[in-house]
Amino acid sequence: MAKKQKGIFSKYDRNPKLFDELYDQQGEVNDVYKKLFKLYGQHSIEDYAELNGRAKASFFNQGITFRVYSDEKTNEKIFPFDLFPRIIGADEWAELERGVVQRCKALNAFLWDLYHEQNILKDGVVPMELVGSSENFLEQMVGFDPPGGIYNHISGTDLIRHTDGKFYVLEDNIRCPSGVSYVLSNRTALKRALFGVFNHYNAHTVTNYAENLLDLLETVKPAGVDKPNTVVLTPGMYNSAFYEHSYLAKTMGVELVEGRDLYVENDFVYMKTIHGRERVDIIYRRIDDQFLDPLEFRKDSTLGVPGLFAAYRKGNVTLANAPGTGVADDKAVYTYMPEIIQYYFGEEAILHNVPTYHCSRKEELEYVLDNIAELVIKPVDEAGGYGISIGNTLSPEEIEEVRNTVRAHPRKYVAQPIMSLSVHPTYIEETQSFEQRHVDLRSFALMGSDREFVLKGGLTRVALRRGNLIVNSSQGGGSKDTWVLKKSKKNAG
Amino acid sequence: MADCFRITYNAENSYDYPVTAATWQFLILPLENESQHHLKFEFSNSLGAYWELSHSGFGFRTIRVRSKGPVSRISFTAEISLIKEVVNPFAFNPEMVPPFNGPELKLQDFRLTFARYIRPTHLTTLPPGSAALYSWDQGEGYLEKLQALNTWVYEYLYYTPGVTDVDTSLEEVLGLNKGVCQDFAHLFIALARNKGIPARYVSGYLHQGKGYFGDAQMHAWAEAWVPGIGWIGFDPTNNILAASNHIKVAHGRDYDDCAPLKGIVFGEGENTSQHAVAVQSQQ
Repeated sequence: MAKKQKGIFSKYDRNPKLFDELYDQQGEVNDVYKKLFKLYGQHSIEDYAELNGRAKASFFNQGITFRVYSDEKTNEKIFPFDLFPRIIGADEWAELERGVVQRCKALNAFLWDLYHEQNILKDGVVPMELVGSSENFLEQMVGFDPPGGIYNHISGTDLIRHTDGKFYVLEDNIRCPSGVSYVLSNRTALKRALFGVFNHYNAHTVTNYAENLLDLLETVKPAGVDKPNTVVLTPGMYNSAFYEHSYLAKTMGVELVEGRDLYVENDFVYMKTIHGRERVDIIYRRIDDQFLDPLEFRKDSTLGVPGLFAAYRKGNVTLANAPGTGVADDKAVYTYMPEIIQYYFGEEAILHNVPTYHCSRKEELEYVLDNIAELVIKPVDEAGGYGISIGNTLSPEEIEEVRNTVRAHPRKYVAQPIMSLSVHPTYIEETQSFEQRHVDLRSFALMGSDREFVLKGGLTRVALRRGNLIVNSSQGGGSKDTWVLKKSKKNAG
Repeated sequence: MADCFRITYNAENSYDYPVTAATWQFLILPLENESQHHLKFEFSNSLGAYWELSHSGFGFRTIRVRSKGPVSRISFTAEISLIKEVVNPFAFNPEMVPPFNGPELKLQDFRLTFARYIRPTHLTTLPPGSAALYSWDQGEGYLEKLQALNTWVYEYLYYTPGVTDVDTSLEEVLGLNKGVCQDFAHLFIALARNKGIPARYVSGYLHQGKGYFGDAQMHAWAEAWVPGIGWIGFDPTNNILAASNHIKVAHGRDYDDCAPLKGIVFGEGENTSQHAVAVQSQQ
């Protein structure tokens, strides 16, 4: 099994029950990591600690922060970044990418169907109650054809690697998935700190995200517009992802606006500028459906633009993602993804789904109530890791509490077996050593009317507390730069 | 046969402190359909603020007013003349109506097609146990059953202005036994939906003729889908079917989809809003 390593890995404690990204089943360092491992081995842990400090400074200087919402106060924090990159080989990535694209296209086909003929419900493949009872089904979108037929222009697919070594999709995010700016800043920080190491690898760039985003958004411009004017619509600087909104606007070379910067006239959207008004054709909106237009949705929304939805329905402005996508990234719909892919494309799902129990089904509810200790209980409509209970971490009293909550609102919960996320060596400041920490992977996919783009990289999130399985930044997670290797003999190892 | 109506809609909004960047949206224009045709439409506001026609998310005509400067008080006036064909709600072939409690309402395609108007909303949710308030034992066919429901709602609630508002839940309405037209409509809709019958909220104007009250405000009633016939209007506030004197503006899941006036303003303090409606027959 594991050989004792010298140098900075001398204290690395490998738990053989966990899938370690660095090692293969025989305890040998994986081919893709060999070169890195050798390079790191030439340094002491003190060198590494110093580098780590520099990387942190780089993040601080770039202003890369996020906000954590809690009951007491709202804090702005530096996003913890780990210098040991996650490396994914070309072949493995190619498969992941095909799977992600298949899934995004299936979600788009599903959304089109739900807002038009509803054949998948009529054929009983997905139960109508599932959609009917969803608060995210937007009646105002029924019968509307979004420009280019695209709903989820931007998708974030959360993947994990289980102990069996296979990737599983944990959830699809097709409302306003965030995190891509961290991918780009992680790369910047890593290259600054470890250019010598990065340079030994032939990894795909991630800096082409913004240009692809703008390109693909422009494929769904309103009819009759030659050179579309695109903006990023943010809820403002108090939003947890404000850094990302400003970053994307800057890198796309477009304006970052708040609702109050826009107004609607004759069903066209205009931006107020010091040179007078400018027509807006495409809005990459980072505010939720319910806040888009106070005349149409939540009356108390000060984030949106009165009349925006009317302009959208008239076809004079494109919203990305389309309103109403939330009905399809519901955690209960997730469980039907293999059937949804089969239904629209007649294909097997390339990426695995985690088996899921629907508490809305009586037999499955019984199973869940009896086995909470072995399950993860999730609310179907909360994002960001809020409201999740992991059975084997709960006290008997807490289990009873969860049981009562689920019993009271079965439709609101699904349960999944506790998947063992793979682990990755991660530098831990407190112990000044590398330790195994659980990781996941959020991939970012874009869809336009004529092509798709998957960012060759992604956000590898790390649960920084030992044993913790929740990787969301709002729950104290960090992240790693993620290298997707180019297909070449040089990297084949 | 047709009637000619002249509708005058007035609204006045006042704000404790001047508001800026305000937008108001009116959903007050009579629907143009087979039986309703506009002859004339005029709109103005006391500040000469910019206004335009647009559509609500469900495709109904709206008037949108936008002001740049600070506003303490603004009044709006709309005048509409329209022709309304005389409608006979009984002009259908009774043989086309399937028997009550047949399989029609339970068919999956039917439930999908009408899902929007079968599902309860927060304003049309019956409080626990209250579905049993109405027994459905009066009448034979769908139409008679729904007419009996219409009568029951009319008798069960006391028409009392000022005790409820547009956000009042059915739980409160049933506790008070009082309300105005939207409460009557919501209760009718909730009970019909509870039986699986699609029902929708309708806003509009009511012309009650000389000597009647009730046309000083916009009115609300309900439409229910009667298998074999289609949408039929029921006015539980007046215990009648909606016919030639009901001028429809919009329909939706509940009041929220049909609110006649929505104001989006930035500013502090309270605001007051007053409406007055007059419907005159011009025959």
